[in-house]
Amino acid sequence: MWRAVGVFRLVTLAYAAVLILRDHQRYAHPLGGLMTLAVMAAWSALVTVAYARRSTRRPWIVGADVAVATALILATRLVDTAARIDHGAATLPVCWAAASVLACAVAGGPWAGVAGAAVVSAADLLERQALPRNTFNGIVLLFIAGTVGGHVVRLVLRAEAALDRAARREAATAERRRIARDIHDSVLQVLALVSVRGRELGGEAAELGRLAGEQETALRSLIALPPSPAPDGRLDVRTLLEPLAGDRITVSCPAHEVLLPDPAARALAAATGEALDNVRRHAGPDARAWVLLDDEGEVVAVSVRDDGVGFEAGRLVRAAEAGRLGVAQSIVGRIRELGGEASLTSAPGRGTEVELRVPRTASPREEVDHRGR
Amino acid sequence: MDADGSPRLLVVDDHPIWRDGIAERLAAGFSVVGTAGDGAQALRLARATRPQLVLLDLHLPDLAGAEVTRRLLADDPSLHVLVLSASGERQDVLDAVTAGATGYLTKSASLDEVVAAVRSAAAGEAVFTPGLAGLVLGEYRRLVGTPEPETPRLTKRETEVLRLVAKGLTYREIAERLVLSHRTVQNHVQNTLTKLQLHNKAQLVRYALEQGLD
Repeated sequence: MWRAVGVFRLVTLAYAAVLILRDHQRYAHPLGGLMTLAVMAAWSALVTVAYARRSTRRPWIVGADVAVATALILATRLVDTAARIDHGAATLPVCWAAASVLACAVAGGPWAGVAGAAVVSAADLLERQALPRNTFNGIVLLFIAGTVGGHVVRLVLRAEAALDRAARREAATAERRRIARDIHDSVLQVLALVSVRGRELGGEAAELGRLAGEQETALRSLIALPPSPAPDGRLDVRTLLEPLAGDRITVSCPAHEVLLPDPAARALAAATGEALDNVRRHAGPDARAWVLLDDEGEVVAVSVRDDGVGFEAGRLVRAAEAGRLGVAQSIVGRIRELGGEASLTSAPGRGTEVELRVPRTASPREEVDHRGR
Repeated sequence: MDADGSPRLLVVDDHPIWRDGIAERLAAGFSVVGTAGDGAQALRLARATRPQLVLLDLHLPDLAGAEVTRRLLADDPSLHVLVLSASGERQDVLDAVTAGATGYLTKSASLDEVVAAVRSAAAGEAVFTPGLAGLVLGEYRRLVGTPEPETPRLTKRETEVLRLVAKGLTYREIAERLVLSHRTVQNHVQNTLTKLQLHNKAQLVRYALEQGLD
């Protein structure tokens, strides 16, 4: 951005130089005109160098920049003839003065830009002692340059910061992935082998195998990447469901990412986790469970099935009627708040199946508002 | 098959402890004709020993698992490839399966499960774990969303069957629930895989033609 200000300054300096060299014979003080040009050139060189480096980029230099521009505008009265000025001749620096307004904007944002524009415009008015149309236009343009310039700088800075953060995160993620791969290829494989082999051998070896299996699961979840939202704030549901897998729980997902708005993804995963808690609590000690994440396009569906003891169809309804909402409220409630549907089917001895369906564009708060809660 | 009638097996894994461990444990029921630590060695050994089944780990130092699968099958189309991998990399598994592998097991599977899977894979049957069903289902869902022409589609029945496999039901339970024969369920499952593999092959051919390397 500073470079852009520098370029603008050079171009406007050249324009002012052309005008001064062409007209200085007609000034009241031709030499004054040339001196003004020399001051402009020297100041341009000085500040361009000062602005180029962060260490020399001081607020007072920006202030001085505005002051010099203002002084040169006011100097027009001294150098040029009153007749020419009243006839609408340009001020000596012409649009070179706008460079200082841009410098304000770049240094301090839109408000500083407006302040710079106000000072330079005031000098313009003072020099003219009137408000002809072209001066008015010039003033409007100065204010626009001040505000827009400041805004653009803010945006650029914000974008740069975001890019920087993203690059850092990317590097950290890549490193973590590399470590995960290494662990995956070495320690995890051995732990898996010990676990499988130990269980086969039985006895004390089975106990060792069980320990190895637990460590394998623990290490696996340790090296798994934490769920992080995409730049648009959506979250891959898979990253939330995969950690739910365990010895008796299988999680099946597509190979591609399944994105939902962050809160919806978390609510869906939380409902899934609760369904699995219910399996642990009610399905019996030997029950296994399967979680399927199915991306149907318009709808993202998660089903949780177990092969446990199951229950009579009416029991849950009765529990809900009796006010002991428990399962029904937290699972079904969460999903309904997302504008989705949840259903539960079961029969004694045939396990239980929970199906959660959430629209792709789900957002939690709207649905709550619609129902006027 | 070998003289004693046991299927001929090649074990490919870059991890020596695993490779030897699994080869040793399978030696009881199968004839392990060789073990390989990388893709190139696997391809050489497969040509030399003509196994019926290759037990393939997807993580190899030289070649991607899917590429090894493709080349093995190009050399010998009657071969079966069963992926046995610790890899949680779903895309790798899916790639290997669309390249022609007949199934996928994780390394945490018990020996009984591995033996059963090797038997059915050697017989040419798809080994469909719930995890694999989820991947295959997901791939069809993804294809629906792509602009590519002539992508394979699942029938309603196939979707239903695949979802039930992914939810952990056995073929017998699915047959019971949908009032179908066991064989029909098996065919549906097999079809879903075959369609994906054909599509993959057709895409490779189309790509080759477009690049002018026929």
